[in-house]
Amino acid sequence: MSEMRKTPLLDDLEKGPWPSFVTEMKKAAAKSEMSNDLLGALEQCYKDKKTHWKHGGIVGVRGYGGGVIGRYSDIPEQFPGVAHFHTVRVNQPSAWFYKTDSLREICGIWDKYGSGLTNFHGSTGDMILLGTKTENLETIFAELSSRGWDLGGSGSALRTPSCCVGPARCEWSNIDTLDITYSLTEEFQDEMHRPAFPYKYKFKVSGCAVDCVAAIARADCAIIGTWKGDIKIDQAEVQRYAKNGMDINAEIVNMCPTKCITYNGKELKIENEDCSRCMHCITKMTKALRPGGERGATILIGSHAPFVKGAQLSQVIVPFMKMEPPYTEIKELTRKIWEWWDEYGKNRERIGELIERKGMRDFLEYIGVDPHPAMIKEPRRDPFYFWTTDELK
Amino acid sequence: MEKEEIKQKIYGLVEKSVGKKKLKSSDIQKTISAEAGIARDEVKDALRELIDEGKLIYTYFGGSFVEIPPKQ
Amino acid sequence: MSTPQRKTDIGPPHYKQFLPPVIQKNYGQWKYHEELSAGVMVHVSESGDEIYTVRVASPRLISTDFIREISDIADKYCDGYLRFTSRHNVEFLLSDKSKLEPLQKELKDKGFAIGGIGNRVSNLVHTQGWVHCHSAATDASGLVKVLMDEFYDYFTSKELPSRVRLAVACCTNMCGAVHCSDIALVGVHRKPPIPDHERIPNQCEIPSTIGSCPTGAISPDPAKKSLKINDEKCMYCGNCYSVCPALPIADPDNDGVAIVVGGKVGSLRNGPKFSKLVYPWLPNNPPRWPEVVNAVKGILEVYAKNARKHERVGEWVERIGWEKFFKLTGIPFTFQHIDDFTFARETWRTSAAFKW
Repeated sequence: MSEMRKTPLLDDLEKGPWPSFVTEMKKAAAKSEMSNDLLGALEQCYKDKKTHWKHGGIVGVRGYGGGVIGRYSDIPEQFPGVAHFHTVRVNQPSAWFYKTDSLREICGIWDKYGSGLTNFHGSTGDMILLGTKTENLETIFAELSSRGWDLGGSGSALRTPSCCVGPARCEWSNIDTLDITYSLTEEFQDEMHRPAFPYKYKFKVSGCAVDCVAAIARADCAIIGTWKGDIKIDQAEVQRYAKNGMDINAEIVNMCPTKCITYNGKELKIENEDCSRCMHCITKMTKALRPGGERGATILIGSHAPFVKGAQLSQVIVPFMKMEPPYTEIKELTRKIWEWWDEYGKNRERIGELIERKGMRDFLEYIGVDPHPAMIKEPRRDPFYFWTTDELK
Repeated sequence: MEKEEIKQKIYGLVEKSVGKKKLKSSDIQKTISAEAGIARDEVKDALRELIDEGKLIYTYFGGSFVEIPPKQ
Repeated sequence: MSTPQRKTDIGPPHYKQFLPPVIQKNYGQWKYHEELSAGVMVHVSESGDEIYTVRVASPRLISTDFIREISDIADKYCDGYLRFTSRHNVEFLLSDKSKLEPLQKELKDKGFAIGGIGNRVSNLVHTQGWVHCHSAATDASGLVKVLMDEFYDYFTSKELPSRVRLAVACCTNMCGAVHCSDIALVGVHRKPPIPDHERIPNQCEIPSTIGSCPTGAISPDPAKKSLKINDEKCMYCGNCYSVCPALPIADPDNDGVAIVVGGKVGSLRNGPKFSKLVYPWLPNNPPRWPEVVNAVKGILEVYAKNARKHERVGEWVERIGWEKFFKLTGIPFTFQHIDDFTFARETWRTSAAFKW
């Protein structure tokens, strides 16, 4: 083991109350030459105010086209330990629940064959094992997969689906987010490991409109739990909130976007027909208010970050879908969406961008979904629109 | 069509494209299934075998592609 | 020792084996929850069963030693069960209330930050930065660390009008939820890429590189079998560099950090919102980025003072108006703030009513 890298700039980030990533890197560096050189390389970035990584490549495990991200230092002569420093993405269990024996098993593998550094978790949701050499990849994959762990997605493929804590520990969840996520992941293993799409495709599953996994902003397909019946009210609990200091008119009635709630000091009333199910009142008075009646999900398609021509949020495609195992409807809809994308999508074109380019009508007709006012904020403003010959005399 | 023959067609297509255009898995599936008049799943299956055997590999750089592995 | 037999296409382990017994028993039967403190909540089931959650921060970039340490704690107090949140916090789950105090004491003694629940600043969603990314225009872990050192009390105790979601993306790829966060930092470039004519013919596909540019600033240079950049059209987004490594765009003196505010993802009250630009550029000044920390602090404090209860940053700004936001925060308003890209038209004021 060579001497610890000197890192005067990074050392400053060990000060202060918040847990320090530099301390974590040093713990790993004490055991791993790779992590020691990572510290040195990062210190160099801090000095130069620029990154020292090169991207892309051909590394992976046999048969798969994703799950490993090739990464190479651009100053390998200075930091040979990170000449190769590839990432392994491991598909996390639904909602990020773990048992400690499994975590220790992964730590053992990673200390032996990798840098000992990880991310819990990456932005998409995978467990990230950060930094290993090309020659260790097959062994790592065998060690992981023989213990029941598989790789996640990368490249132009289905990315690892993820979900909120859902019915495991949340009273607001209208759907079984954990089971849906598991079921979709198992159904589409081939699409995850063998990239065949124009670009990435992400599923995120949230139990309600609070959307704790940011599905609406980050998933090509957002599955967001909702309900169709009336909100159930426990008037005694409403009174308890009032007694404990909640200003029900200011905090609930006046903040309701559809103004469907009234409160006369004794009783809270909701005009359920006018409720848009935004979740504000339910989250603020969780003991008093609960969704009622039929449960299901709204399916929204198309969000992505700003590349290429500006960010998009996902848009409503199916206003309400029942979500019961084996989730055949969402799986069939997904295959139709992919067929259309495969037919018309260009390299690196997300589904949301293609819908914008080809038009909603083309998309909806192909996937077999009828127009519905829930799909729009407002109808078109312009007088320019298509008719098909079938629609004309 | 025999699977070996499909595999040869796929490999030929990838070989022909070297230096011209990087092919995506879906490009290969579309081209071969149209040329040979066979189902895409058959092409997909043959492609998977070529990749499992290491004769072709996935590469990624501004998208995921199927290419011939570099000579060691 | 021989390598075990590999398996493919198995997917992740089934989640059920990782759920504590109290969750297995009460799955889908939770009735309500209460926030007991900044870092502790209890969920109560229809059956009357309870599960306590103690939330602590992690720096996201963690060593196996850290994982073993939290595993030891989970073994001691939680029968070996724990989970992570979407914002990189660790949650210790326990059904035995008597262990709650000893667990918190041990966590505090070991220096963990307990908090992040309720109307506070939670941990940051962020990206790899200089630690591991080729396109990073700034570091992410470092920015998170310096911000949360500053806002530590907003995680562990102090309340805000509503929850405040911070995020950091190290380039405009925005691998985090920066485009829909209350206050977010994004690494930006300010100079066009410089074509490396020797490498372009071998390393880059000309048509796809041209196609990657949102403003049409890239054209072929047939004489050199390479590419030309029209500097006047380039908006420095760096998408071409993702496709073609021979178009380096990093520039240490001109790269930096932009600040965007007012985004959210939930549909509560008034729907999800994009974050909007408030600081077009602040310098990369590692290791502590004082200019960036001060700017975020300024915004957060003005929000804390002026927003109404339950108003997220974006809702507050919409109520008071952006002209008043710039006045209250003192942030200089510049040409960069007026959109001249895809969504420009929707963002211009088309009414004669506004505040002085």
